[in-house]
Amino acid sequence: MSLHIRGLRKAFDGRTVLDGVDLEVAPGEFVAVLGANGSGKSTALRCVVGLDRPDAGEISVGGTGRAAMVFQRIHLVGRRTALDNVCAGALGRLPLGRSLSPLLFPRTLREEAMACLDRVGLADRAAERAGRLSGGQQQRVAIARALCQQATVVLADEPVSALDPSAAEQVVALLKDLAADGLAVAAVLHQPDLARRHADRVVGLAGGRVAFDAAPATLTDADLTALYAPMTITEPVR
Amino acid sequence: MTTTVPAPPRRRGPSPAAWSVTALVVVVHVLAWRGTDMSPAALATGWRGMADFLGDALPPDLDWDTVLGPSLRAAGVTFAIGLLGTSLSVPFALALAVLASRTTTYGPATYQVSRSVLSFLRSVPDVVFALIFVTAVGLGPFAGVLALVLHNIGVMGKLWAEAMEESDPGPRDALRVLGASRVQTVAHAVLPTVFPQLVGLLLYRLDVNVRSSLVLGLVGAGGIGFLINQSIKLFRFDQMATHILVVLVLVVAVDQISDRIRRRLA
Repeated sequence: MSLHIRGLRKAFDGRTVLDGVDLEVAPGEFVAVLGANGSGKSTALRCVVGLDRPDAGEISVGGTGRAAMVFQRIHLVGRRTALDNVCAGALGRLPLGRSLSPLLFPRTLREEAMACLDRVGLADRAAERAGRLSGGQQQRVAIARALCQQATVVLADEPVSALDPSAAEQVVALLKDLAADGLAVAAVLHQPDLARRHADRVVGLAGGRVAFDAAPATLTDADLTALYAPMTITEPVR
Repeated sequence: MTTTVPAPPRRRGPSPAAWSVTALVVVVHVLAWRGTDMSPAALATGWRGMADFLGDALPPDLDWDTVLGPSLRAAGVTFAIGLLGTSLSVPFALALAVLASRTTTYGPATYQVSRSVLSFLRSVPDVVFALIFVTAVGLGPFAGVLALVLHNIGVMGKLWAEAMEESDPGPRDALRVLGASRVQTVAHAVLPTVFPQLVGLLLYRLDVNVRSSLVLGLVGAGGIGFLINQSIKLFRFDQMATHILVVLVLVVAVDQISDRIRRRLA
């Protein structure tokens, strides 16, 4: 297993957000994570990359041990070129002396970053400022940055929630392609339709627990309706 | 069909806290009025003094060889003091700002120490620094530059640290997650994100420092401030008026140019 999460628990100020979540993503697999707002989807991903600290549970990430993350708000540096933003993906393995300015990045890194940009179909925009690109293009640059990190696990936290439908389609299809290349990809989505059409497996989270974990073909409309139904509190808030 | 719309919530008057704050502000102003010997009567009866002064100052003495030429050259020195005082403080201000910004600092101790250094440099007026440096390097523009550098490190370092603290945490998180070190995060997320703000604050400080260097000239750092002081001592208010006109042109020019640069960066 490339990404392996077992019994993940997390509470904020006594409010349980993750109540024992298990999730496995194999190399070559694209898993979509669905769930209503507050169901703990984003928190689970943030725990994996270390932005939140889990209260309990096991997380193991294959390969470099560090998963790459793609964000809803993209988080590129708008004033830097697309290529420089992609190069930044390699900062973790660059010596400090070669990494203090984009001018110092090694030639091999720039070539590798160019290949990553080419993989997402934006090699021709390499020299452009990231802030000048459209939302969908920016998100693809962010995915190229994740590729340049050389991680085997790619997580995406609502990567298309701020994009128009056609850009969203493109980005999700790209994530699916990357999984087909052998990466383990997990994306939190708010679009059940995109999940059904592209994902190899769909995981539903409700109230901090896994409500279902199934192939898209076996997913029923009733499953989805239940997932987004207003929650009734059945246990006292701890 | 009849539906009853809920009534809007009732407007509430100022709270007791608002009343007491208002009362406090009024009291403080009354005390300040007394403490500064404010007296409109003295102003009204003494208007003739001001009229005489202005009568002597107008028309300004625009003789090129003795007044306007030296005035422009001195204005150049004043600008040079302000410019070097600003730009030579950049590396120190930047290093201290990174250490004194909560988002980039190394730990509570570093944060507190660098904040204290900045506060100290900020709280000592540049005129005081100038008097100290005069004892080392003598009267002249060099002492003025050193004084401005020290004071400006304190002010600009604090402004820059605040700009960094208010920067978007997103790019920082993104780089932290992919394994970038603190220094790398500063170099590739924080600084490029806040660059326009830092330049804007730098130009604002240049503007202030050019005006401060004028005041430093009054206490012996050279430049046009020295000429203004001299003409006042010699009761040549018409020459003083020329110098002030030159200062006006200098300040407006600096303001216009920095405004244009800021707008291009935004």
